[in-house]
Amino acid sequence: MSSVNPLLPYQVRLLDLITETPDIKTLRVAGGNGVPFDFRPGQCAMLSLPPVGEALFSITSSPTCTDCLEFSIKQVGSVSSALHALSPGSELGLRGPYGNGFPVEDLKGKDLLFIGGGIGLAPLRSLINYCLAHRADYGKVDIVYGARSPADLIQRVEINERWPAEPDAAVHLTVDAESPGWHGHVGFVPAYVSELAIAPENRVAVTCGPPVMIKFVLKALEELGFTPEQVITTLEMRMKCGVGKCGRCNIGSVYVCKDGPVFTLAQLKNLPPEY
Amino acid sequence: MAENNVDYSAKIRGVVAQDLLSGRIDLLLGWEKGHYWWQSRPLFARDQADLERLAWDSFCAVNLSRYLVDELKENKKVGVLLKGCDARALNRLVQDNMVPRERVIAYGLPCPGMLNYAALLEAAAGRKPDGIAEENGQVTVRGGGVELTVPRDRVLLDKCRHCLYPNPVHCDQLLLTPVGERQAPERFSAVQERESLSSDARFAYWEKQLERCLRCYACRQACPYCSCRECFVEQEQPRWLSKASQPSENFMFHLIRAYHGAGRCIDCGECQRACPVGIPLQELNRKLIKDINELYGHYEAGLDPGQEPPLLTYRPDDPAAFSEK
Amino acid sequence: MIKSIKKEHLAHLWERLASNGPLYLPVKEGPALLFKPWREGAAVDLETVSSTVSPKEVFLPRDEVYMQFSRAGQKLELHPAVQEPAGRLIAFGLRSCDLRAVELLDMVFCRKEPVDEPYAARRENTTLVALACGEPDPFCFCTAFGVDPVNAPGADVQAWWNRDDLVLEAETARGEALFTLAGELLAERNAVDRPERPATTDFSLPLEGLPKRLKERFDDPAWGRLYRSCIGCGACTYVCPTCHCFDVQDFGHHARGQRFRCWDSCMYKEFTVMAGGHNPRLTRKERVRQRFLHKLQYFPENYGVYACVGCGRCLRSCPVNLDVVQAIRALGGETVEQR
Repeated sequence: MSSVNPLLPYQVRLLDLITETPDIKTLRVAGGNGVPFDFRPGQCAMLSLPPVGEALFSITSSPTCTDCLEFSIKQVGSVSSALHALSPGSELGLRGPYGNGFPVEDLKGKDLLFIGGGIGLAPLRSLINYCLAHRADYGKVDIVYGARSPADLIQRVEINERWPAEPDAAVHLTVDAESPGWHGHVGFVPAYVSELAIAPENRVAVTCGPPVMIKFVLKALEELGFTPEQVITTLEMRMKCGVGKCGRCNIGSVYVCKDGPVFTLAQLKNLPPEY
Repeated sequence: MAENNVDYSAKIRGVVAQDLLSGRIDLLLGWEKGHYWWQSRPLFARDQADLERLAWDSFCAVNLSRYLVDELKENKKVGVLLKGCDARALNRLVQDNMVPRERVIAYGLPCPGMLNYAALLEAAAGRKPDGIAEENGQVTVRGGGVELTVPRDRVLLDKCRHCLYPNPVHCDQLLLTPVGERQAPERFSAVQERESLSSDARFAYWEKQLERCLRCYACRQACPYCSCRECFVEQEQPRWLSKASQPSENFMFHLIRAYHGAGRCIDCGECQRACPVGIPLQELNRKLIKDINELYGHYEAGLDPGQEPPLLTYRPDDPAAFSEK
Repeated sequence: MIKSIKKEHLAHLWERLASNGPLYLPVKEGPALLFKPWREGAAVDLETVSSTVSPKEVFLPRDEVYMQFSRAGQKLELHPAVQEPAGRLIAFGLRSCDLRAVELLDMVFCRKEPVDEPYAARRENTTLVALACGEPDPFCFCTAFGVDPVNAPGADVQAWWNRDDLVLEAETARGEALFTLAGELLAERNAVDRPERPATTDFSLPLEGLPKRLKERFDDPAWGRLYRSCIGCGACTYVCPTCHCFDVQDFGHHARGQRFRCWDSCMYKEFTVMAGGHNPRLTRKERVRQRFLHKLQYFPENYGVYACVGCGRCLRSCPVNLDVVQAIRALGGETVEQR
């Protein structure tokens, strides 16, 4: 019998708080010895700020970044609002990692197409940086990323400078509507995916974003010839325990907190549409 | 009522069938039998086959008016069977603008009071009852080859014991003959008993009662005055109530709810009937009804849809205990 | 080892057993029968077959503080809550259905990683005394789920009534330790035949192959009719011995407080609503379907057994008589409805 309550968080320190957009900040946290646990890209962790509560967020940093964990968090509820209000140096609670993460082994040797919308880049970023750090293991990398406006794009240094500079990597940015000073592509992410017409041969598409974007991205990928096994997405549900016991994040008999949040489209097609 | 159940049910079915099949209403809210003879549960009838299951007997306790709020989102016009208390519940919902009255056909069912299975079990004196018969205010409980007859008043649901208005008011159509006045016992007797206690003793009494509250909110969900789209219980910013089942939180929930019902509670007792652990919630509600009567003059919620609840109106001569102190 | 005690001496037994730690047993509180720690004067009721609320709260309390926090400036302290020195718990008078339910909860909290430490600790620390059912309650249908009303596997002591004697048989070392604690209050007894298995209704439920049929009928219009009477309270989930959903909340203020977990219900609309407002189980239809499928399809898919034990508590307590039997009857058959 384990003698540690799996629901018990421990203290970590907020190193830095980076304002990404008007409503998204990236928190950089670390324990006494840096990153407090081993994890895979796509896994999540529970951040605690008593007495407000705790909430689950995807880890946006890559396991290859060893000095801290990063979380890009959009301000939507009480916990995210309280996290946004923290000042560097503050302590908060952490437990995790939770979930299955991306299948980094299965992706080896494949070309990759990342499709993100808004805050949906957060879980993708962990995998993108992981793949770029293990560059020889993975093929071509295409990143399609969009947001409502240029001001809503996150991780601007990476999307504009670092990622395009990597060998065999391309970043395709788009915003929903014309905007002063924006000379890039204009239009919704799914339409841009169709327009780019990236071939599905030996490629896996990984997408994350608002539900409506995902819905149309899946349709666009299908039209491009991607099979359900070649499409990977991540889901988000309300969670409390993170360990498959509290009963609220299930879709059918699958618990998003431990069996997800990463699913192939083929897996999703086998589940009830309750997400 | 029991020996005529079949006749009554057939008569009701005949009237509502015309309206349902002609399209005057899209849905009829009534009752059908559950697994047991002592259970009648809500029926949502859309066609003749559904109507065949319609039942009117002494176990139709569920107040159907509350379903109107949701069903009118999906149906243009809904017919509903209403007992005396249910009809006043409908009036309240109409007063609160939760139900547009013109989209409802209210069929009134004069009600002799509904029966309580637990009381029937007790009346059966240890035998397992397998049915009842009713005649002239008497209920005969059959079981184990024995028949025991008790006065109907003894086996009524708690919520029906003090019923003052068994005949539905403001219905579109009364389906059965009105029942006579009932000799209801004084409904404030339990409240007066509590009032006679010291405040410490009264607190201890309620602490003991509310200790077993599961916070399942069956009382609220069954209640025709609890029609807020978002209850304070669930509000998170700010959070008024913790989910901890501590005495402070249980008191907070039940007292806020009771006060919110002041002048709006029709004393139908659905809260108490729905409570799985039998908390005497009607005592709380009746305390508020009694206070309202004493402070603002006699008022019976839901009786006259034209008469606004006292706490929703202002009169210069209203008691002003707060501002005077 | 078999011993017995006369009914009129039970009060002494309660006092003795409670001397070593909390003794949970069915106690009448108002019209409800609840598993409560024994106190002088408690109205113990070992006759009524099933308690209003299941004894799950012995292991999964309605609320349970597990963390203390305090904050000074930027410093945050998080500590496990100090568990009250409980001594050994005894849960006395659980029925066979209740025991089966404990076994199901064990699967979730003890046998699936990570082990839920607070539950496991309580479970490890509890002696379970099962009581055979004589006359079943009309709501009982445990035999439909293969539960034997007079024999509860997993109990430390199996008890049954023999006229005015309560007969107890120790099944485990923990059970024998309970006999030692009871000492001279229990009389030696020669082997006594266990009671006859009483007849309960089983509602002739079509349980064979049910999870598969339910999976096929997920979109069946019958769900659209079944849920309508549901008023959206949590009574069924809170009286149920196998429902175990919980919430985590904080209590306190900026500088100091506690974190606790407490019962929660999939019947509440807030249960799955996300911070941005999206709710994957938006209406009562999805919520009612979730509750019944969890019992009858999802749990069997994950653990190989139904998460219903036929205790009948939802048949008794639902204010509108919408219960698991009604669900199985409406959706358990072969026919997929076309409408």
